[in-house]
Amino acid sequence: MKVFKTISLTAVCLVMGIIVAWQYRSVKMNQVLAQYEKKSVSEIIEELLVEKNNNENLKQRLQELQREVDTFKSGEMDVKENIEALEQQVLAARIKAGLETVKGSGLIITIEAGGLKTVEDRHIEELINELKASDVQAISVNDERIVAMSEIRKAGDYIMVNGNQLVPPYTIKAIGHADNMERSLKLLGGVLEKFQIYEFKTSIKKDDNVVIPAVREEYIKIDRLTPVQ
Amino acid sequence: MNRGIRAITFLLFFIFGLLINLQFKGIIMAQPKNGASAKELAAQLELEKSENAKLMEQLANLEAERDMLWKNIGDTLNNQQINELLKKKDYEYLRAGLTSVSGSGIVITMEDAPAKGELDIEDYIIHDNNVNDILDELKANGAQAISVNGERVVLNTRPVCAGPTIIVNDSRYPPPYVIQAIGDPDVLYDAIESMPQVALMRLTNIRVDVEKQEEIIISKYRMYSALENSLKGLEVVK
Repeated sequence: MKVFKTISLTAVCLVMGIIVAWQYRSVKMNQVLAQYEKKSVSEIIEELLVEKNNNENLKQRLQELQREVDTFKSGEMDVKENIEALEQQVLAARIKAGLETVKGSGLIITIEAGGLKTVEDRHIEELINELKASDVQAISVNDERIVAMSEIRKAGDYIMVNGNQLVPPYTIKAIGHADNMERSLKLLGGVLEKFQIYEFKTSIKKDDNVVIPAVREEYIKIDRLTPVQ
Repeated sequence: MNRGIRAITFLLFFIFGLLINLQFKGIIMAQPKNGASAKELAAQLELEKSENAKLMEQLANLEAERDMLWKNIGDTLNNQQINELLKKKDYEYLRAGLTSVSGSGIVITMEDAPAKGELDIEDYIIHDNNVNDILDELKANGAQAISVNGERVVLNTRPVCAGPTIIVNDSRYPPPYVIQAIGDPDVLYDAIESMPQVALMRLTNIRVDVEKQEEIIISKYRMYSALENSLKGLEVVK
C-alpha cells in the first residue's frame, strides 16, 4: 500500500512538472504568435490602404485617359493642339528623367569635415537615400544632378558623381516637401545624428526657390536597352 | 500521516486541474479571434489587388489605343512635326524609365538565412542598406535599367525591408528579393561578386545568388496617376 502511494504521488508530480513546463512554453509561444499576428494585421491594413489609394488614382487616371481618347476620336483637336499636347508629354518625360533644369521649394544642405574623418561617398549616398524616402522630386550634389542611374563613387579623398569629381564642402539641394525631408534627416539615430559623431559640419536651410540643374544629355545611356511593348 | 498525504494529494490534483483548465483556455482563446479579422482583411486585400490588376490592364489597353490614335494622326496628316514629336516622345520615355525594356545583364536573388545561429538575429536578415548598397554598386558599374521585385528603379526608389517583406515604390513584396539589372553582364557580375557586403551576408547563410542572363525584361515605372502629378511644384528653368 505504501509503495503504491509513493508511486502514484511520484507519477502525479511528474505529470504536473511536465504540464507546468508545457504551460510555460505555450504562454511564451502565444506571446510570440500574438505579436506576429498583431504585426501582420497592421501590415495588412497598411497594405490595404495603399492598394485602395492606388485603385482610386487608377480610376481617375482611366477617366482622364478615356476623355483624351474620346477627344481624339471626335476629331475636335486641330494640328496645333495635337502638337502642343505632344510637346507637353515630351517635356514631362524630360523633367522626370532629370534632363531639364528645375526650380521649386525644398532644402539646401551643406556638409564638410570638421574633425579627422573626411566626408566619403557612402555618407553622401546615405543622405541621398534618406531624401529619396520622402517623395523628393529632384536632387543635386554640388550642382551635379542625381538621376535614376546616377553613381556616387570614391575618388581619392573626394567623391565622383556622374563621372565628375567634386570637392568639399558638399552642397546637396533637394526639391520636394521640405518639412518631411528635414524630419526624416533629423530622426533620432538618423543620418544627421551620425554625422555629428563624425564631427561633420552640417547646415540645413529651407528655400522656396531651389534651382537644380539638368544632367548632361549624354549621361543617360540607353544603348543596351531595347524597348518592349 | 495518512491525512497529511491525503491533503497533499488533494492539493496536487487541485492544482493539476487548474493547470489543465488554464492550458485549454489559453489554446481556445488565442486562436480564432485574431485569425478571423486577419483573414477578413487579407480577403479584402486580395479583392483590391485583383481590382488593381484589372485596372492596370484597362489602363494599358487605353494607353495602347491612345498611342495608336497618335500614330494614325501622324500618318494621315503626314505632318512632319507630329511624326518627329512622336519619335522624340518614345525616346524620352525610354530615357525616363517610362518604357519597358529588354537586354542582357544580371539577376540577383536574395533571401534571409533559413535558420538563425549563435549570432544576433539581425545578422541573419537582409537590411535596407544591403539592398541599397547593391543598387549603388550596379549604378556605379553602368547599369542602364534596374528593377527590384519587378518595380522599376527611378530617382526616388528606395527599397525598405520591413519584417520578412520588402517595400519598393510603395508596393510590398514577399521574399525572395529579386534585383534585375541591364548592363554589361561580366562587369556587373564581377562588381557584385567582389562586394565585401555580399561576402559578409553569405557568411551568415543569407542567400545571395548572382546570375548572368542573356535576356532580361524590366517593366516600365508603374504609375497610378498622370505623370504630371508627380511633377507638381516643379518649374522648368530655361
